[in-house]
Amino acid sequence: MIVAARTNPKLRRAGLAGVLAGALLAGGCTSGGGSGSGGPSSEPTTGSAVPARPLQVQLVTVAKVPPGGPNARRAAKQAAPGLERFLDRYLTAAYVDAAGGEGGWDRLIGLFDRPVRVSARKQLDALSLGANATEVSAVRPSRASARAVVLYGEQRPAAATVRLAFDGTADTAKGSGRVHLRSVLQLLATGDGWRIAAFDSRTGTPK
Amino acid sequence: MTRRSDQGGGPVRRSLLWVVTLGLVAALAAGLVVATSPRQPATAQDTPAVTVQRAHAGSGTPALKGRLVLLTIGSDSGAPKFGRGGTAESGRADALQLVIIDTAKRRGSIVSFPRDSYVPIPGHGTNKINAAMAFGGPPLLVATFEQLTGLTIDYYALTSFDGLTDIVNKVGKVQVNVDMNLRDHFAGAFLDKGRRNLSGAQALAYARARKTLPGGDFDRSRHQGQLLLGGLGTYQRQVAEDPTKVLSWLGIIRDEVKTDLPFPELLRLALVATDIPVSGIINIPVPAVAGSAGGASVVRLLPGAYALFGRLRAGKLS
Repeated sequence: MIVAARTNPKLRRAGLAGVLAGALLAGGCTSGGGSGSGGPSSEPTTGSAVPARPLQVQLVTVAKVPPGGPNARRAAKQAAPGLERFLDRYLTAAYVDAAGGEGGWDRLIGLFDRPVRVSARKQLDALSLGANATEVSAVRPSRASARAVVLYGEQRPAAATVRLAFDGTADTAKGSGRVHLRSVLQLLATGDGWRIAAFDSRTGTPK
Repeated sequence: MTRRSDQGGGPVRRSLLWVVTLGLVAALAAGLVVATSPRQPATAQDTPAVTVQRAHAGSGTPALKGRLVLLTIGSDSGAPKFGRGGTAESGRADALQLVIIDTAKRRGSIVSFPRDSYVPIPGHGTNKINAAMAFGGPPLLVATFEQLTGLTIDYYALTSFDGLTDIVNKVGKVQVNVDMNLRDHFAGAFLDKGRRNLSGAQALAYARARKTLPGGDFDRSRHQGQLLLGGLGTYQRQVAEDPTKVLSWLGIIRDEVKTDLPFPELLRLALVATDIPVSGIINIPVPAVAGSAGGASVVRLLPGAYALFGRLRAGKLS
């Protein structure tokens, strides 16, 4: 904001007053906190007025390779697109497409390895919008990031541990509010992608 | 005012002063409002945020059906670092534990067998159990155990001296409850009783020490079981601190252990293992007594051993 005032020739004409006002406002914004929340959010909380940002998972991947196996950096690069697609599918099923609650949870549960599906179905509130899905009309993603460690077999990924963070805004009839997900997912590589073999997950409003 | 105005020197300068003054007042007021207001996100419509979802936490590990029986084998061969040639599979099986996990109840038992147990080996008469692997590799050893116990062995896991020491060194020591003071020059075991973090060399020495122990082979078998339990406890502590350690351990096992466990099952088992309390696993030396056969010292299983096998077949864990 200050930078813009300094470089905009029209605003420069307003002189000292505008610069001072801007500086004081900026000072008020940054020093008036103290709530520990890190300042006011630029994330919109109301509304349909703000267009939805497409879901895009920012993924950082590292690979553990066997002796004589592929180069670790190349392996990480090779594993990343598939993992990113999988996490995108997970967040889409858990949040974006879950809004309205009409689609059910089969698509989300299908992303889990069979031996953990019953447990996942019982804990949807910790993995997704859960029981609140019916009250939510839309979910607008604002941040989706993940850090993955991938274990390689001979030439292909065999398993991965992913730390996933998702923040977004959910619209309801009463207004809008934030939704959060923080998960550690243990993934098993299958012939056609990945499955969640174990999870440790939190959702809701962080304290 | 007039004087000041006069001294001010004209309307242009006066209006500039007004602009500055107004700007300052407005800015101070705005700053004050921002500084004293409760924090609210800047929005186009001033609607307060609602709580969409209260905090929820949950975790899940695989629910594997039924019981899993795993034979863990320590070979005396295939360890170049210890001057032992050949392959681990073609050596004698000097450390033998049946690990039985009730995956639903999250409990289990480790049944330790003395290597000199004198038992029938399919197609090879009666001999020391450790010879079975030298005769026919892990498959014959598994068949020997199945015939002896009546249990179906689902999988085996085999390592060597090199493998054991490498595993322990790579995971960064294992914590073991050493149950006696050890001064065994033969195995190089010099350990005091108590909870100890063992290096690879110390872990191997603890697993091998026999000659100076009051119970000889029986004590050694029990120690080998304790080492497995120590490994489980160490694994659980590391994973609780850093979930990516599951993969670190799996990577080390991949490099140091030969097994017929398919990788998906190995991963699921590793995830289940995070959830099984060490105290829920019983370390049972198989009831046996020292004896001799054809001039060689052997270990003969007692009737209690067969009673134990019967209980295990019936689904019990001890």
